[in-house]
Amino acid sequence: MSDIITVNNLVMVYADGTKAVDDISFSVKEGEFFGFLGPNGAGKSTTIKILTTLLKKTSGSVTVAGLDLDKNAKEIRKLIGVQSQDTAVDGDLTGIENLMLQGHLQQISGTELRKRASELLKLVEIEKVANKRARNYSGGMKKRLDLATALVHRPKLLFLDEPTTGLDPQSRAAIWAYLAKLNKEESTTIFLTTQYMEEADKLCRQLEIIDVGKIVAQGSPAELKQQVGADSIRLSLENCVRDKLKAKELIRTLVGVTDVLDSEECLTVYAKNAGLLIADIVRAFDSSNIRLASVSFSSPTLDDVFLKHTGKRIRTEELVKTPSILFGGRGR
Amino acid sequence: MTLLSDTRYLFVRYLQKLVRNPILLFFSLFQPIIFMVFFTQVLSALGNFPGLLPGNVSYTEFATAGILMQNAFGSALQSGTSIVLDIDTGFLQKMLVTPVSRYAILLGRLLSDAFRVVVQSAIILALGFALGVYVTTGVVGILLIFFTIAFFGLAWSGISLALGMKTRSSETVFAIGGFITFPLLFLSSALFPFAYLPEWIQTASTFNPISYAVNAVRALMITGYDWGTILQAWGVIALIAVVTLGATLYQFRKVIS
Repeated sequence: MSDIITVNNLVMVYADGTKAVDDISFSVKEGEFFGFLGPNGAGKSTTIKILTTLLKKTSGSVTVAGLDLDKNAKEIRKLIGVQSQDTAVDGDLTGIENLMLQGHLQQISGTELRKRASELLKLVEIEKVANKRARNYSGGMKKRLDLATALVHRPKLLFLDEPTTGLDPQSRAAIWAYLAKLNKEESTTIFLTTQYMEEADKLCRQLEIIDVGKIVAQGSPAELKQQVGADSIRLSLENCVRDKLKAKELIRTLVGVTDVLDSEECLTVYAKNAGLLIADIVRAFDSSNIRLASVSFSSPTLDDVFLKHTGKRIRTEELVKTPSILFGGRGR
Repeated sequence: MTLLSDTRYLFVRYLQKLVRNPILLFFSLFQPIIFMVFFTQVLSALGNFPGLLPGNVSYTEFATAGILMQNAFGSALQSGTSIVLDIDTGFLQKMLVTPVSRYAILLGRLLSDAFRVVVQSAIILALGFALGVYVTTGVVGILLIFFTIAFFGLAWSGISLALGMKTRSSETVFAIGGFITFPLLFLSSALFPFAYLPEWIQTASTFNPISYAVNAVRALMITGYDWGTILQAWGVIALIAVVTLGATLYQFRKVIS
């Protein structure tokens, strides 16, 4: 299949000197479910703004749907649908009016538009409130309406900038289901940015991991996880500062260990067969007087991929973390 | 032509938004109505001195032109807040990723402002008729009055739109709007007969564009088709419009690029 997006040596430097995108190149195949994964401020939104004609790049070359971004912005706008990070629905208008307006701006009208609007209201399950003002919708409903407005002209290529940020798990699952369906049944190419590992893992077939303006890894979620090559064991020590180096040395001598990295809890060990290794680690620590505080292990996740390539984890679940501190989860 | 159809859709959107916020509409009409009903009573005695007011009309009739203009620039100065809102909510960006004609976004906004000011003027004028106001030039004159007011409103919308896009702050637009409204109103011939103003206010008044617009509307209401005054007013408004809409266009280009 041919490429629907090609990006070569894209650079974006803002007027204040911030280098938001630092020489990235990638391509997206037609029909792909493509993900741009990275923490806040990694350059995801900047890239999406450039690809959707909203922002002028500093340098590099970009084609969207075979058209040059610099020369064919207007034609590109007819082919793409965009849902931005802020939910941009007009609260004074009803759901259906929002859809009709967006359709008109996409130069669709009459029966065709009315049919499409009611079809979309059904798809995102807001037909019951279609005639109520969007101002009164819940956050999830607004996001769904926003998604519907991005689809009104049946775009070949759909850009979604963090489409589920701030949503409850139920609304998130609902959006995931529409997107998967859209990609599969209407073969819409989807370009999605997210800071949620789970979202990227579940939806995307091709991923680029981006951090501080650079692409640090690419591949399918399975490939990326395979690159990590191993299960991960997360160790926290009672005295991490004192024992860290010694612990690292000890672990490196054990059979089956592929890598040991510093991490948030203290150390993360990658190994072929984590279950067996845990016993060895405990024994080795015991004989060297290193006291373990906790151990957990898991199959590789995209988070491990990110850690491997950048030396840090994507921190997104701050909201979830706060209560555990409140209830004294950390200090003992 | 997509510019025309896009402009129409966005014009309708702005009117829908306006109709759905009746409180805003009520408050922008509230002040001119208070002026029309009460302020004119305070000064009604002016009508008892023959020769003080042109054509020996009542003070209410004299002040109507001024109050119409006050309403026009009061409403126009709110225009900028709507574009700030569209920028803040991301709605402008949402429009910009569609193939919509860029200038339709601005034109739809300006035309809806003009339409709004005409409707509000019709309401004030109807109230004037109930209070005994008479328009000498009849229906054609009323249409010319509406044209003058709408044109004037557009020129002033330009100020608030440019300010709104430059500062991205509704508060600033409101504050600056409120700040310039009253000085401009009182340093003009809007509410008091020119000949009886203190000399320094007379001087200020001759440099005040509001005086010109008011004089034209007042002529159409009281003296008749005084084309000299009317064309002079249109010329002054056109000059302001070139500056303010030029600034608006300049800021708009910066916002959309």
